[in-house]
Amino acid sequence: MAKFEAGMEAMADMYVFETTTLLEQLDQILMKTENESSFGEEEINEIFRTMHTIKGSSAMMGLDNMSKLAHAIEDMFYIIREEHPVISSMESLYDLVFNASDLMKAEIELLQEDEYTQTDFSDQMNKIESFVAVLKGGAPAEAAPVQAAPAQAAAAPAASKAAAEQTEVLVFFNEDCKMENLRALLVINRITESCSKLEYFPADIENNSETAQDIIENGFTVRFTPANGTATDAVLEIIRTTPNVRSCEVTARGTAAASSAPAAASGLTTVRVHFDDDCKMENLRALLVVNNIREVCDSVSFEPADIEENAETSKTIIEEGFVVHFASEKPEMVLQIIESTPSVKAYEIMEDAPAAEDTPAPQTAAETKAEPAKAAEKPAETKPQAAAPAADSKKTTEQINNMLGAQKGGGAKQSLISVNLNKLDTLLDLVGEIVITEAMVTSNPDLKGLRLDNFQKAARQLRKLNSELQDTVMSIRMVPLSGAFNKMTRIVRDMKVKLGKDVDLIFEGEETEVDKSIIDQLNDPLMHMVRNSMDHGIEDNVEDRIAAGKSPKGKITLSAYNSSGEVIIVVADDGAGINPEKVLAKAERNGILTKPASEYTEKEILNMIMLPGFSTNEQVTEYSGRGVGMDVVRKNIEKIGGTVSVDSKLGEGTNFIIKIPLSLSIVDGMEVSVGDSIFTIPINSIRESFKVKPNQLVKDTSGKEMIMIRGECFPLIRLYELYDLKPGTDNLYEGIVILAETEGRCACLFADELIGEQQVVVKPFSALLNNYNVKQHGMAGCSILGDGSITIILDVSNIISDF
Amino acid sequence: MGENNAVKTTGYAADGAEVLFFNIGETIYGIEIKYINEIIGIEQITVVPKIPDHIKGVINIRGKVVPVISVRKRFGMDEIPYDDRTCIIVLEFEGGEQVGIIVDRVQEVIVVKQGDISKTPDSKNVNTNRYIKSIINMDSGIRLLLDCDKLILD
Repeated sequence: MAKFEAGMEAMADMYVFETTTLLEQLDQILMKTENESSFGEEEINEIFRTMHTIKGSSAMMGLDNMSKLAHAIEDMFYIIREEHPVISSMESLYDLVFNASDLMKAEIELLQEDEYTQTDFSDQMNKIESFVAVLKGGAPAEAAPVQAAPAQAAAAPAASKAAAEQTEVLVFFNEDCKMENLRALLVINRITESCSKLEYFPADIENNSETAQDIIENGFTVRFTPANGTATDAVLEIIRTTPNVRSCEVTARGTAAASSAPAAASGLTTVRVHFDDDCKMENLRALLVVNNIREVCDSVSFEPADIEENAETSKTIIEEGFVVHFASEKPEMVLQIIESTPSVKAYEIMEDAPAAEDTPAPQTAAETKAEPAKAAEKPAETKPQAAAPAADSKKTTEQINNMLGAQKGGGAKQSLISVNLNKLDTLLDLVGEIVITEAMVTSNPDLKGLRLDNFQKAARQLRKLNSELQDTVMSIRMVPLSGAFNKMTRIVRDMKVKLGKDVDLIFEGEETEVDKSIIDQLNDPLMHMVRNSMDHGIEDNVEDRIAAGKSPKGKITLSAYNSSGEVIIVVADDGAGINPEKVLAKAERNGILTKPASEYTEKEILNMIMLPGFSTNEQVTEYSGRGVGMDVVRKNIEKIGGTVSVDSKLGEGTNFIIKIPLSLSIVDGMEVSVGDSIFTIPINSIRESFKVKPNQLVKDTSGKEMIMIRGECFPLIRLYELYDLKPGTDNLYEGIVILAETEGRCACLFADELIGEQQVVVKPFSALLNNYNVKQHGMAGCSILGDGSITIILDVSNIISDF
Repeated sequence: MGENNAVKTTGYAADGAEVLFFNIGETIYGIEIKYINEIIGIEQITVVPKIPDHIKGVINIRGKVVPVISVRKRFGMDEIPYDDRTCIIVLEFEGGEQVGIIVDRVQEVIVVKQGDISKTPDSKNVNTNRYIKSIINMDSGIRLLLDCDKLILD
């Protein structure tokens, strides 16, 4: 991979991962706002931040085109945010951003190939530029903010009252954030609107890039007077949340009223927090507390102040507790949050806090100042530190924890790591080997006939630990389905626009977890099915829906739930449903019927749409279009050991039901012997096993055997006949019968005897054997038993459907 | 068995290719050594139902499930009982896929010179020729070099 400069290759993985995640987040935000058809301040900021990050990291990787594209979008949202232009066509804005996001995703995919050259995005850039031009043209003239800002400030001839509230702050940016002058400009642009008067130094930041150095050394000074109705704090908050702002220090305040910022009108409360003994990293836990309460507080400060940078402070916190001063309208709520923060043992409200409610604001300020050194240095010292995390307050506390861990290196521990999937695969393989080896040791033929109490005891313990190990490894690999589901929102959105159908996509149980390797294989089939439902399921004409007494808005539901070791995913639509007669007629035309048409049950007919021969290129009609790609869906699902079935009621809608195993690799199985062969039947498809009594055997006219169990009749499948094997016994009353059930169908399997229950690690058949369609014959894979012999794992559903 | 060695001498280098010879009945066949992973004695073969006759089933090689093919069956000959000279030659193909072939007896590994190798006659009639890659002229007589891909996959 000579795509990157030396040293960057190691970063590539991280970059791909991070950018993909960001782009997915972007899609979600867009989708959300599109549904609500409004851009909130928060969403715009979020998009802005996302693009900003992508821009930065792409530039770092030397992917200039990516970086430029991200920059263009960033600029666009910058204008949207700052100027609030009238956006004439929301749709084209969404299309633009969605397209850009697609392009970037495609680029990331390309990036992972060996031959990679940067794609030229100039088309898309031009589109964005022209859109921006329209935006600017449509925006109110005075709001070309950059130049207007100082002018405006000068022009507003200092309303005398406003002058009294002037505040001066000194802003520092993150080290190495580059282009400090432009970042300063960003600060100015962001606060322009909230200020009636605004001056800053250095003044020529926009045109003179030399000022960047000056800003690094001396900071960036802003003197502002909040506009009417805007609190000084609000402006400070804007400054602090501007990307890359490291700290924002208030250096001078015009009036006492303004300086009361830390002690806002609602009063200052001081709390001393103690953490659990031995909880470690007290300083970071303290930071967590601060981050948690920041949202509901007007102002927060704390001692020790340098908890973030200085791991030594944990000692202080252990000894003296962690002191937080906050001002909030709802102090009870803050206290509650503090109490519920993990590891907080106790907190006490300190009496010596200045009781702001009782004293007028100016006095509060005076009192604060009058307090011994401790309090006096508080605003100056704590603010800078507090500012940095404040910028990230959007991120979850977990992420903060994580970031802190990363930044601090040796001192702190991270609670989340990202791991290469290959390593997890290897781990799982190893666990599989251990499970086999354990059986190999504990049921070793050498031990036969020996009485080994201690050995058995130890073996049991080993088995317990192994199954725990296995569960843990499995749980590591489990991923919620929500990611796969969320991708569908995008498809539905695109198709909604294209087909002009109004459809709601509803998720249920998206938190259900599935093995990572399965999720990866699930995206395509899901997409096909959702497309199918959109395209052919939901009626083309709204009138048809209304006539059928349905809501004009279509509904597609994606739901997932666990059921006996399987995950069941249902893609349901409330559309026209499938007409079985038409399907049957079509199947007949295509010549894929294997028995007389009259013998097909409705379920069989519906499932025909997933047969390879069914789908044709015939244009979309009520029934034919349904087959498009459905056989591909079935194949993909079967590849991961799952099944698909269709359920449809004419006029009411169609359900596609996918059943997939929780995990591919380890199965609880019952071993049975047939002659010299050993077969494993997955426990979750066994209902019961029993010896047949003569009065249970029923034969039909053609001599087919059936077995009567509690008034129900089930077909009997003799495994040795099915597989042409030499049986140990062909006497039905000597062998054992296993009642197997899958997908609502049952059959009795006849074998020589039960050997026992065991966990087996599924090994897929080699390609050579797969050529001969062993899966179709009901063999799902094989596995190695404790004694080194091989067992074939049966797939009951294929055996039954074959029968 | 020199797997690495085999990789070095892939194809027909100037000094020729290493070939492993084995017996099926009285006939001696050869297989290029680059395909060969290892040679093991016959072991218990697990029958897999519903597959062609010449695939005898699967064996367990250190935790890997490997299918085995009877060369005799493949050539349409009668099978003979396995004895202590019966061997399974484990071949490895691109992508790591392993297949074992059951042979009567393993002979020796010989470096065959390029000049000693000649093409098979272009005939549609000869059935066994389906699996023959080329013919090797040796001092000890004429031997047949098998085409592994065809032997296994066709």
